[in-house]
Amino acid sequence: MIQDLYITLGHYGLFLALAAAAWSVVGSLLGSVARGRGLQYSAERALLVAGAMIGLGTICLVYGFLSDDFRLDYVYHYSSSSQALPYKVGALWGGQAGSLLLWVLILAVMGAVMVATNRRKNRALMPHATAVVGAVMTFFLLLLNFIEPVFATSALRADGVGLNPQLKNYWMMIHPPCLYLGYVAFTIPFAFAIAALCTRRTGDIWFRTTRRWTIFAWFFLGTGILLGSYWAYIELGWGGYWAWDPVENASLMPWLTGTAFLHSVMIQEKRGMLKIWNVLLIILTFSLSIFGTFLTRSGIISSVHAFATSDIVLPFGIFLALVFFGSLALLVARLEHLRSEGRFESVLSRESSFLFNNLVLVGIAATVLFLTTFPMLSELATGRKVTMGPPIFNMVNVPWALCLLLLTGVGPLIAWRRASRKNLQRSFLVPGLVGLWVLIAFLLFGLRGYLDSLGEIGRAVASADVARALGSVKGFYPALTFALGGFVLATVWTEYWNGTRVRVRNHGEPATLALGRLVWRNKRRYGGYIVHVGVVVIFFGIAGSAAYQTEYTETLRPGGHLMVASYVMRYEGYHLAAEDDHIAAATEVSLFDRTRGTSLGRLVTEQRFHPRLEVEPLRDAFLRAKSLGEQGSPAYGEAVASLYPLMQQLEAQVGREVKTPSTEVGIRAFLSPLDGPRMGEDFYVIPLWVDPATGEASFRVFINPMVNFIWLGGLIAIFGAHVCVLPDSRERKRLAAAMEVEERAVA
Amino acid sequence: MPDSSRGRPPRAGRNPGALACGLLLLGLIVAAAPVAADSRSEYDEAASTILCDCGCHPQSVADCTCGRAAEMRSEIQGLVAGGMTGDAVIASYVERYGDKIRIAPTAKGFNLLAWLGPLGALVIGAVGVAWLARRLSRAGGASAEPPAPPATPPADEAYLARLRQEVEERL
Repeated sequence: MIQDLYITLGHYGLFLALAAAAWSVVGSLLGSVARGRGLQYSAERALLVAGAMIGLGTICLVYGFLSDDFRLDYVYHYSSSSQALPYKVGALWGGQAGSLLLWVLILAVMGAVMVATNRRKNRALMPHATAVVGAVMTFFLLLLNFIEPVFATSALRADGVGLNPQLKNYWMMIHPPCLYLGYVAFTIPFAFAIAALCTRRTGDIWFRTTRRWTIFAWFFLGTGILLGSYWAYIELGWGGYWAWDPVENASLMPWLTGTAFLHSVMIQEKRGMLKIWNVLLIILTFSLSIFGTFLTRSGIISSVHAFATSDIVLPFGIFLALVFFGSLALLVARLEHLRSEGRFESVLSRESSFLFNNLVLVGIAATVLFLTTFPMLSELATGRKVTMGPPIFNMVNVPWALCLLLLTGVGPLIAWRRASRKNLQRSFLVPGLVGLWVLIAFLLFGLRGYLDSLGEIGRAVASADVARALGSVKGFYPALTFALGGFVLATVWTEYWNGTRVRVRNHGEPATLALGRLVWRNKRRYGGYIVHVGVVVIFFGIAGSAAYQTEYTETLRPGGHLMVASYVMRYEGYHLAAEDDHIAAATEVSLFDRTRGTSLGRLVTEQRFHPRLEVEPLRDAFLRAKSLGEQGSPAYGEAVASLYPLMQQLEAQVGREVKTPSTEVGIRAFLSPLDGPRMGEDFYVIPLWVDPATGEASFRVFINPMVNFIWLGGLIAIFGAHVCVLPDSRERKRLAAAMEVEERAVA
Repeated sequence: MPDSSRGRPPRAGRNPGALACGLLLLGLIVAAAPVAADSRSEYDEAASTILCDCGCHPQSVADCTCGRAAEMRSEIQGLVAGGMTGDAVIASYVERYGDKIRIAPTAKGFNLLAWLGPLGALVIGAVGVAWLARRLSRAGGASAEPPAPPATPPADEAYLARLRQEVEERL
């Protein structure tokens, strides 16, 4: 009974959600015109009802996955009866419709929190904010009800296709929801910005009241990006973590503009300036979030993430255009209300350093957008298709990134309003010297190489070879990164040191207490510095692993060994297995220190094939081998080995898609400072192929120095972000004061 | 007005002699640097330039881990073993599949826009922001010194609140 009921329930649930969301828009707009409180509360409650209905729809879809109901098209495409339980739940966001449902579910929860926390405050802004959230929700529900129906059914099928094997990974279970939390959360600050424009209350309230939302969004988007990189690193097996894939780029862009926004609102808070720019930044950030969501699932640019091409391209395009140009039009209409209160007093001031910071952050976002869309531009202009691979992204973005790193250090040191020469000398002396010494040390250490690079640049410039010139400048990037990073770390150290010293002197507190109180009383500022340290450590990780990576490929038989960098790797043996949904050739290798001969551990790394289960002979043979394995039968090994020639034979008949290859990477990470120069390094190995008969295997080895600094830096930044959002009574007082002022100004 | 520069050593940035010496030195370094032998093999050059056509995210044949990359690697190895240079291998692929088989476009013609556009934007943007900050600060400086400053500036609620806030912050 329930088998038939739940699909109907989910289907109509989403329909009711659409009606409720639409009413929340209409009701709150009517409420704002008629100034009827009743209408407004009705609209807010409608948002809650829509949320409940979306929740119901999601539960129904999850139930479909858990009960293996392959009548549902969505369940059929992204699950199979053999899929492990966590992946049955995770398959919810494995495809387009489910991803949209997850998006709107998160928005519903956030909308409910927004309504609940603003019952008694921000009453002037709430009608329009509710309308914006309701409108976004309505759009997604329209897609889910009419264009991408998530509860579409077909005739009963025996089994499902199953989730893409590469997505069956722990990190893939948390990366997309994390990213979506970030994308969606930018809706709330955007909604308040629009509300501020509509009501002409363009003071500080809209961004002060949504500061936590912005940091929340920024935090989850950043964490989601890092988790995605980590997934790519441990799953895709090419030794890197960032491929400048369009979808990766799409998530990076709103994060960059969001970061610019977080910095630039500080100028408005302190000095009442850059009001237009701040509104523009949040419009841009939200639009890019929608664009990112759109790119992820639309399949408009072919990428590893886009699993389906679909009908949502046009509606998404229209919605995006409405959001972006509509907001811009509103902004233009309200320009007179966005005049600056303060003025620039000097070029040498915190204000102008923030201008540069904004230039660089938005510049990187624009560069990424430009390069991502360049193939289309090129085709339009010259009729030729080109590919934008990682090399050009790296070369073009690094100079921007280095400028950003420099500004990370410069910003906090320059005084607000006007920095005196003395002030500059005092603050920059120590950090500047630290940076300079790091640079000199690097240059002296690799003098020969740097001179060669210099010569190469000269020759490339002389022969007007742009690509080669940019490629040769690359040699200087690690030295510059470490020098600038040293500079930034020294600035943060100086800030902490000076602040603590002042407290010790003025209050007579012991140093640790003084440090604690210093941070506790200025959580935003000192938490922000911790984030800066995290960013520097991430830069170190990127520079180290990109510049000093060693790659090596060799074919070995069991018992053979290879030597690479400071390691010796011995190939111990292999075994074949048929498990879950794949056939695996698992190879075991031992790792030794090359000079001392000490053991550094054992690694298991696998070459896998996921047989396509619709191909019947393959399915039967695979299931037979699997059941032999479960029984512990001695014929198991032979049964698995026989799958390989079968796959080869079927491949010739049916095509390459009879099997999907994937790898399980073997990684030995050196995380402890006791590992000496290896600290932060990964020994990373995958088998490119394994001969199932003899065990002969081709191993690809990467030595990635410092790569773990990226994840460490991420953790530091996460910690810093937490410090920033801890409850702050002063912040609350300031917000209350600002609200009071605005209320009086409006009255 | 006394000449403030008298008796001081001229500043390096304004000394054409020092600049010329610096340039000469740079020139010497560039000229003296030995032509670095191309350490990459012909195969490496081709494999890291040619795009793997598996349809996953853009990866070169050298980097990609899919089954198709393995086939393309042996294809390229065969061509190089047959006596082709890296450039010739790349040229033959471009002829067959078009420019899009390169992992990144060549830095020529319209593509220069992709290679140099963002860097140009960085320079122009930096100059622009510096100009903007200078102009805004000049305007600010002018208004900060009105001809007859009133004894007490007009206080408004917003200004006072901000002031209170800042005082509170400093405490």
